[in-house]
Amino acid sequence: MIVTGSWLKDFVDYNYAPTELSHRLTMAGLEVDNLELLGEGLDAVIVARLLAVEAHPDADKLTLCRVATGSEEVQVVCGATNHRSGDLVALAQVGAVLPGDFKIKKSKIRGCVSMGMLCSEKELGLADNAAGIMILPAGLTLGEPVFSALGIKDARYELGLTPNRADCLSVLGVAREVAAMTGGKLKPLVLDLAEEGAPVFAQTSVTIEAAEDCPRYAARLIRGVKIGPSPAWLAQRIESVGMRSINNVVDVTNYILMELGQPLHAFDFMHLRDQRIVVKHARDGELFTTLDGQERKLLASDLVICDGAGPVALAGIMGGLNSEVKDVTTDILLESAYFNPLTVRRTSKRLGIHSESSHRFERGTDVANLLVALDRATQLIVATAGGTVARGAIDVYPQVIPSREIPLRLAKITQVLGEELPAGQVCEMLESLGLTLVSDGPERYLVTVPHFRHDLEREIDLIEEVVRLNGYDNIPLSMPNGRADCQLLPRSRKLANLTRDHFVAAGYSELINYSFVSPASWDQVQLPADDPRRATVNVLNPLTDEQSVMRTSLVPSVLQSVAGNLAYRTLDLRLFELRPVFHPHHGAELPTEQLRLCAALCGRREPQGWANGDADVDFYDLKGVLENLLATLHINDVTWQGDASDVFLHPGKSCTLRSGESVLGTLGEVHPRVLANFDIDTPVIILDLNMAALISRTGDHPGFKPVSRFPVLQRDTALLVADILPAADILKVVAKSRIRDIEDVVIFDLYCGKGIPAGKKSVAIRVSYRSVEKTLTDDEINAAHGKLVNKLCQQLEAEIR
Amino acid sequence: MKDKLDNMLHSARELISTVASEAELQQIKIRFLGKKGELTAIMKGMGQLSAAERPVIGALANTVKDEIESLLHERLERTRAAEIDRRLQGEKIDVTLPGRRGERGSKHPITIVTEELVAIFAALGFGVAEGPEVEKDFYNFEALNIPRDHPARDMQDTFYITDDVVLRTHTSPVQIRTMIKQAPPVRIIAPGTVYRRDSDLTHSPMFHQIEGFMVDRDISFADLKGVLTAFVTSYFGDNVKVRFRPSFFPFTEPSAEVDIACVICGGGGCRVCGQSGWLEILGSGMIDPEVFKSVGYDPELYSGFAFGMGLERIAMLKYGVNDLRLFFENDTRFLKQF
Repeated sequence: MIVTGSWLKDFVDYNYAPTELSHRLTMAGLEVDNLELLGEGLDAVIVARLLAVEAHPDADKLTLCRVATGSEEVQVVCGATNHRSGDLVALAQVGAVLPGDFKIKKSKIRGCVSMGMLCSEKELGLADNAAGIMILPAGLTLGEPVFSALGIKDARYELGLTPNRADCLSVLGVAREVAAMTGGKLKPLVLDLAEEGAPVFAQTSVTIEAAEDCPRYAARLIRGVKIGPSPAWLAQRIESVGMRSINNVVDVTNYILMELGQPLHAFDFMHLRDQRIVVKHARDGELFTTLDGQERKLLASDLVICDGAGPVALAGIMGGLNSEVKDVTTDILLESAYFNPLTVRRTSKRLGIHSESSHRFERGTDVANLLVALDRATQLIVATAGGTVARGAIDVYPQVIPSREIPLRLAKITQVLGEELPAGQVCEMLESLGLTLVSDGPERYLVTVPHFRHDLEREIDLIEEVVRLNGYDNIPLSMPNGRADCQLLPRSRKLANLTRDHFVAAGYSELINYSFVSPASWDQVQLPADDPRRATVNVLNPLTDEQSVMRTSLVPSVLQSVAGNLAYRTLDLRLFELRPVFHPHHGAELPTEQLRLCAALCGRREPQGWANGDADVDFYDLKGVLENLLATLHINDVTWQGDASDVFLHPGKSCTLRSGESVLGTLGEVHPRVLANFDIDTPVIILDLNMAALISRTGDHPGFKPVSRFPVLQRDTALLVADILPAADILKVVAKSRIRDIEDVVIFDLYCGKGIPAGKKSVAIRVSYRSVEKTLTDDEINAAHGKLVNKLCQQLEAEIR
Repeated sequence: MKDKLDNMLHSARELISTVASEAELQQIKIRFLGKKGELTAIMKGMGQLSAAERPVIGALANTVKDEIESLLHERLERTRAAEIDRRLQGEKIDVTLPGRRGERGSKHPITIVTEELVAIFAALGFGVAEGPEVEKDFYNFEALNIPRDHPARDMQDTFYITDDVVLRTHTSPVQIRTMIKQAPPVRIIAPGTVYRRDSDLTHSPMFHQIEGFMVDRDISFADLKGVLTAFVTSYFGDNVKVRFRPSFFPFTEPSAEVDIACVICGGGGCRVCGQSGWLEILGSGMIDPEVFKSVGYDPELYSGFAFGMGLERIAMLKYGVNDLRLFFENDTRFLKQF
């Protein structure tokens, strides 16, 4: 919504400079998105008179002009052809800066001195194009800045209105707010309408057959108009608020729409069959062509304006092609009506038509002011297009809509505001907005709301107006007393944060990918047709197919991130994402949202550097990070199942993690075919973890274990075992050996090759012995270790190497 | 005897002053003080002295012994120090060579901002609540006083899953879910992911918000201003100017936009603030009585305020990020800057 300062001043007097008014409107809730000052900084463009126009001695297309500025005479070279001696013109003097930072300098053009420039409307920012220079109307004072002399020095305020303030979708509405600010009064509109000839009732009629959707419909008949271009003042005003000038009649209806907020519609009366109007619902499936040439299929819930035979307009939204005002139109039926906001909104939304008219009707227009709008429009049509107005106006208003009355308690204002306002001030503020208050007991009022304020329905709405006009800046600051019953951080969030911190500390970077992915993702990670992860929650109206299904797995997104980074030649990657996935929940309205973690790594184990190794990462790098996490979360019963994992993993280099009954996730190298699907040409290790399961398996700290004060002794043994024997089996034998004083065991070497028989491998273990009670002797340890090695040899068919 | 001791001390002093190694000092120690050493021999010969001489010579011998020990000790300390100095001189590293670094991980900037905001509000007594991202129309709209066919629905372009299920367009449904579960007083913040059907330079179809609200008896607009001013100054600095101006949200009344003086230009007007000198950072307001009705709170008994802000916007202001898309492109050259 755009308003100009000059138009506002037709309705209200104020002394604010444009920036001041802009600030005040913003602070009153009518946010000014953009303030544009027309003619600002153009005082050096003045009214001047052409004393003589002669041909340039050296150029066919240029003229040499002698120009009087009021204080001197100067010579200016001009390239236009539309100027004559004696014309008043706009002279940009030397030193002027025109829009577009165009500086006017003294110059010599083909040998002749030019002391400035004669401007066109385009050069002054007044029009989009121009043929020739601007010729000013006679009677202006020489030397006066052009914008002031023409009275078009103006300010354009572009308002970003919130949907509740339909009343401010007009100059009048904004003026009302300005009046409330200044305490001033609105200037009344002067209506002066000459009617003649046969009464309107004798010539046409209006019938409302759907009064709930069209409570009021008024119309006037104007005959003998001549459609033509609008006069300059009308076109200029329409254009100053961002509309296009079309012809005098259409421009008048748009003028009233912008000025009073009442959308009007002009029908070509000769094209109204039976020359009458019927307001009713459309027939289901009825076809109707709107004036944009589109054929629309209507429903019985759509409200249409009909003539004697059928629809001629979609009520409040758009006129029909059949009754459009054309250049040859002479007789006009002018409509000013009030439609049910919801009806207009449903139809306009369904048909996808958004017009200035529907925008206002669906937010609510002023049912009480529509006759004023009708009369003012009629008056302006006669003034700009001629014609005669039939006697009387049609006004069908079967059931007068009563004004809303709302009780208001001062105590409630105090409660909301946090401080008390004097009753007098409250009344004054509300009355300045056009509301009326009558006392309704002590500290209570009954407030009557004018029809243009559809947003004021309840006491709280009135309080808002008081708070708003009082000024938010004037409300004190206070801190509420602390009394609340809440959990500072839910356990799941706490553990998720801990996990995130763990991966970040391990060198991983956190990703955030969109929750919606392409349905083709599942093919990329080669999920079989019956994989449950193919059952997705789908977006009905996605922006693109790439964002059309809610992800059931983070894996495709993370692999996409890997590929994206590799494409920029970032080759050493450690990435993770910790976000929910979405699974349809059978029988429930909402899907299940499950927090998952996906981590991926590839490239070098250590960053490139003089002291760092060159080895690439493998399965065990990520497994190590995970093992530490499991320790942090006190999950000690995890098993690593190497014979089953997931379809997108390398079958020989992957595993499933289980804890108790739950599957925590999978870990492994990505399957080469999947890598190829993502155009990744380097091995990638990936972890796909069910965070929700991990959180549910998270234990409490088991409590402190005493620390021994006695020395540790170690024994190393290399065992020759079958090469398929899982290392976990060796550790399990140690753990179950029930030999006292074993503090720790590590596998410190793994060997297979020269000196080792085929089908065997050498696993070297280092066992640490320490007692909490005493210093162990060599003999004691040797005995214990001997026992352990025996058990290993027996149970694992191992030999000592 | 006395002369013998004097000479011994003299020659010991000379010897000790010339040696340069710990081993030599050890030999000197043996020569004088060892079991078969010179001083020991004298001590052993004391028995042959007269009763009168014995204490005199005994005292002298002890003095000499102490003196030699102290000389040996002192020399030993000096020798050790010199040896360390000599070793250190040969050991010099280039401290300008880069350290042996592991890969440095990074939190997503949105996570960082979330954690910072949560910490500030935790200090103000707010707890964290969460809600689903795929949400019922009822929680996302209806209960928040945004009925179907209301122009306010145009404020947010919505992704639909079914007619009655949407991708939540804001974190406000967490308000409703929390209030339905819990009676006042409540103080909650709810960070989360939200979705709107909009994608261009300044809009992302998925982004993040943090929602907060407080309900109790007699919570006023002054409290809203107090709490949010406390937040803004603790996050953006004590000297940042804050303003509250009227706005509209269907679920709050009165509603306020909270602006801070532009952190880029300081209020003079620049491209970031659209020449206005102000940056909109959060929306807020007193919770609308209609919302209380839909969760079963008595609006005559309780009042409260709610607020919400976009985390990407906060992160963009904090780090000067000028392109929203960077947050979701997951380029490590961007991510590792945080």
